[in-house]
Amino acid sequence: MSIDVGPVADFEERRFRIVNAGGHELGVLRWQDRFFAVHNRCPHQKGPLCLGIVSGRLVGRAPGSMEVDDDVPVIACPWHGWEFDLERGRALWEEGYAAKVVPVRVERGRVLVDVGRSARDPAV
Amino acid sequence: MYSGPVIDGDVHHARNNDAELIEYLSRGWREYVTGRGRAGMVPLTVQDGMPNPHGFMRANTYPEGGGEPGSDYPTLRAQLLDASDLRRAILTFGDDSHLAGHHNPYFANELARACNDWSIERWLTRDPRLASSIMVASQMPEVAAAEVRRHATNPRMVQVMLVDNPLGYGFGHPVFHPIYAAAEETGRPVAIHGGAGGWANPPSTGGGSVNTYFEAHTLWPQAIQTHLVSFIAHGVFEKYPRLRLVLIEGGSAWIPSLLWRFDTEYKGLRREVPWVKRLPSEYFAEHVWVSSQPLEISPKRDQVIELIRSMHLEDKLIYASDYPHWDADEIDYLSTRLPAEWHSRVFFDNACRLYGWKPEELKKRVPVEERVT
Repeated sequence: MSIDVGPVADFEERRFRIVNAGGHELGVLRWQDRFFAVHNRCPHQKGPLCLGIVSGRLVGRAPGSMEVDDDVPVIACPWHGWEFDLERGRALWEEGYAAKVVPVRVERGRVLVDVGRSARDPAV
Repeated sequence: MYSGPVIDGDVHHARNNDAELIEYLSRGWREYVTGRGRAGMVPLTVQDGMPNPHGFMRANTYPEGGGEPGSDYPTLRAQLLDASDLRRAILTFGDDSHLAGHHNPYFANELARACNDWSIERWLTRDPRLASSIMVASQMPEVAAAEVRRHATNPRMVQVMLVDNPLGYGFGHPVFHPIYAAAEETGRPVAIHGGAGGWANPPSTGGGSVNTYFEAHTLWPQAIQTHLVSFIAHGVFEKYPRLRLVLIEGGSAWIPSLLWRFDTEYKGLRREVPWVKRLPSEYFAEHVWVSSQPLEISPKRDQVIELIRSMHLEDKLIYASDYPHWDADEIDYLSTRLPAEWHSRVFFDNACRLYGWKPEELKKRVPVEERVT
């Protein structure tokens, strides 16, 4: 089920906006003109995931190096700092552990989320 | 009871007097040590420490002809090498193992070099079952690395040993990395032996110094925990992917607790150390071995076994007696504490894997009279 959560202009770059979509509390993020949506609930202890820090994935190519990969937006839960990539929801330390992301798209200037399907569904 | 072949990962060989080691010092350092006239010699060993009320040695290990426990080959041979089906014993030095606790780094460098030469000439030449650790003075890691490389072509110098901490940072700190580069390059594991803080500089215990040997020995694993966490957090195993680490005389029952916590911390704090690419427990599983001694005594035998099993340590544990120290674990004793299906792994196979020995080669009986030089 596609739900309209507002015009693109309402979404500030790199900042989650919490929306109610068909009874689901989602965080929707605009990131370099791409959109990501995730349930606002950390799989660890059910913390408000989208209130955490958003950043590009921090990468260390060698001990002591610190780089940002802006192609991979990451949310760190505000409660314990557990990090999840927003494209597929996967925890950064284990692919099998994930936050629940949902498909999101833009049509005619509106942001639509599809709460009936998982963004990790290969058909999406 | 286990009666198969055994490798002992922690045997403390000692010198009987200072003259033994002074012989291996350069002429200049010999003059430095012995030239003080009536003031006596400059001490060769670090003077810090706490007395063990029993003494540090098993009472029956003092050689009959006099001298220090671990200093007399015939006694060590009778009590240890020939007392079971021992195929290899890895020598780990006595008081000299604390040489990284010396304040004078140049003197420590010379002592490390002398100790290693003494170990080769006075011990390895006497019995093909003996292998030695390479002592290094980690005060000056580049010099320590050169000492490791000096033994690169001697396959019986089997590991690089760190004990005291001269620089105050965990052993994963980049300042120590030259040692690990040399260890990886020469294919030697790095061994961290219990007491791996230094008695006083810095303390071997977290939170503050303790006052009795009772406290210090109970908390022996703390320093090893610090160094293990430091190794992984600083990405040592990412930087040196073929490096192996062996933790000696720190016990093992604490490992699951530490790694469970460490993994959890990684999930929340990865941002601080993005060069750490995997869960800490994964690095541990791939790179770290653990000596068996002292096996913690749980109220029920199965409790400690369950902890060991939870981290698959039965494939990483290496039997270590700690001979001739007071708290040594006997083979017979340990074999009653461990499940029978672990025996060949813990007493023999795991050490073969760590040190690159071929089990079938070690199982061939070599008459000791066939001296290996």
